[in-house]
Amino acid sequence: MKPSLITDHPFGEDYAKRLGVAPWRGHLPGPKVEEWRFTPLRSLAKIAFVPATADIDVDVIPRNVPKVPGAVRLVLVNGVYRKDLSDTDLGKGVELSHGKVAAKEGSSLVALNAAYAPASLALHVNGKAKKIIHIISIGAAGPTPTALHPRITLTAEAGASVTLVESHVGLPGEAYFSNPVASITVGEGASVRRYVSVDEDSEDFHLATSLVKVAGGGTYEGFHLGLGGALTRQEIRVALTGENANVRLNGAYALTGTSHHDITTVIDHTLPNCTSNQIFKGVVDGESHAVYQGRIHVARDAQKTNAQLVHKALFLSRGPQVDCKPELEIYADDVQCAHGAATGEIDPNHLFYLAARGIDPETARSLLVEGFLADGVNEIGDEAVREIFGAAIGGWLKRRQA
Amino acid sequence: MALLEIENLHASVGGKEILKGITLALEPGEVHAIMGPNGTGKSTLSNVIAGREGYEVTKGNVWLDGKDVLAMAADARARAGIFLAFQYPVEIPGVTTSAFLKTALNAKRRAAGQPEIDAMELLKLVKAKTAVLGMPYDMIKRALNVGFSGGEKKRAEVLQMTMLEPIVAILDETDSGLDIDALKVVSEGVNSLRSPDRAFLVITHYQRLLDYIVPDHVHVMAGGKIVASGGKELALELEAEGYAKYLNAAA
Ligand SMILES: Nc1ncnc2c1ncn2[C@@H]1O[C@H](COP(=O)(O)OP(=O)(O)OP(=O)(O)O)[C@@H](O)[C@H]1O
Ligand SMILES: [Mg+2]
Repeated sequence: MKPSLITDHPFGEDYAKRLGVAPWRGHLPGPKVEEWRFTPLRSLAKIAFVPATADIDVDVIPRNVPKVPGAVRLVLVNGVYRKDLSDTDLGKGVELSHGKVAAKEGSSLVALNAAYAPASLALHVNGKAKKIIHIISIGAAGPTPTALHPRITLTAEAGASVTLVESHVGLPGEAYFSNPVASITVGEGASVRRYVSVDEDSEDFHLATSLVKVAGGGTYEGFHLGLGGALTRQEIRVALTGENANVRLNGAYALTGTSHHDITTVIDHTLPNCTSNQIFKGVVDGESHAVYQGRIHVARDAQKTNAQLVHKALFLSRGPQVDCKPELEIYADDVQCAHGAATGEIDPNHLFYLAARGIDPETARSLLVEGFLADGVNEIGDEAVREIFGAAIGGWLKRRQA
Repeated sequence: MALLEIENLHASVGGKEILKGITLALEPGEVHAIMGPNGTGKSTLSNVIAGREGYEVTKGNVWLDGKDVLAMAADARARAGIFLAFQYPVEIPGVTTSAFLKTALNAKRRAAGQPEIDAMELLKLVKAKTAVLGMPYDMIKRALNVGFSGGEKKRAEVLQMTMLEPIVAILDETDSGLDIDALKVVSEGVNSLRSPDRAFLVITHYQRLLDYIVPDHVHVMAGGKIVASGGKELALELEAEGYAKYLNAAA
């Protein structure tokens, strides 16, 4: 039995038993799981989160949600679709439905999502979508720490194309734990662009899983921005399931305070002539901790694979920690694969050049940080979104200075 | 009063003395040229005036229109009116030339209590200035100096100078890397800025530049000192005879 709305149930043994699932803490990957070695979940497990209620009084969209010109807004509050806050006209080529969450496959977090997700927000794209779809996922804990499990499904049929923007934000209140899962299927020759921004408050947890399948000749372009949260993980697993499929996966993060941000990507090349390109760039300040893990698996049959991966981090002070772990597992012989990783600090020659033009040190650093992240941000194919994400980084820098 | 007054300036790098007592006064409207062998301290002098870190001034003073330059941070010096056109402009990835120009211009305007320039005004200004310097306007969309050719970098330095309208401009080998036509265009850009309330310090290895930017004074620098000064004919003499006799004098 799965309730369509989860209300007022403690996240305890009884509730889990009734759902027929393991208690939630049992779903959390432990410290011995290799993929979670750099991102321990002790701080998360300490908090007694209760399942989210949908009827919490939310009638405004938080101010840090950007306005994407011409986009259709679809709003989830605590994982539940809120028609009253959403636009109704999706434009040509896109249909919306609320599917049951079926799949329990995948990691334990995906299973946790499947067990507790109220329903999936399912988008079906048939043809060229005219409007950008902007999904706004709002976490609203209210007076008790709350867990939410947004679920998004997107299916692009053969030859279809769509651009999706996701903003993950929160409202003031107790801490929440958002455990979103996105399942994306890119059909043959289809093209999906997906731009995700995670800008949670400093006490909130966000463990997101993206499961992407790209069929022959299909293209998936993903961008992941991370600007905050107590602990955020954006895990993106892409399976290239047909020949001539392409994935471009990029991202940027900017961390301060004690934020922990983890990007984990897994790209599976199973067939010949596919490409994958990744550029992730981040700046770290305060006592923050950034993790980047990028695994590229190239199967024996995946000849003529071209897979590239770059991660660069810029330290703004001596306090932060950065763990970077690129992994290439290559079983085909005729491939071009490379990874590059670097960390550094702001170049004093750059600072002097800007100073010699009258720019004060703080402004100069901001300019250089934005410039550093631009490499990643410039990969965003949609111009309007590129500007919006750039502006979000600018906002982060202003907050940091304030 | 001189616009820039350098008094008995001594500076060292890593314990090694490079500038060994430089004295120079740039009166309003004047152009001074400095010539001298490689490694003599010309760029060191410009860096010390502009406020680059890593140099230790052990003696002497620098005054800009009566203000104590050495007491100011590099960015404050620039806002006060010192401009250094770099011998080697640095490439700054990711920062567009336009964003950079806007930030630099507004820093100066704010300091002067003027309103900030808006995007449209900036566009117009840059359009006008790039046209004069024979630069493609599109260049300002590119990351600052990144992938610019040697000559393009030098033009970009002069573009910045014409936009920031300094009181004292130091041009460190701005002519090197410029083709024959660019040399003319850039010189015209500099000449158009010559005015009674501005002064220039032009560092060069080639007399040719001084045919276009005609100096009031020419100085020979060797071994960290000014070893000779004269009019523009001194440059012609150096071109013909080299530095040999001054090197002996400096040693
Ligand atoms: N950071 C440094 N550390 C050590 N030596 C330095 C440093 N900077 C400059 N020098 C030395 O100081 C001397 C003067 O250098 P500077 O660049 O001022 O010469 P210059 O006159 O501009 O030469 P050029 O005509 O080749 O441009 C050189 O011997 C140089 O090697
Ligand atoms: Mg030099």
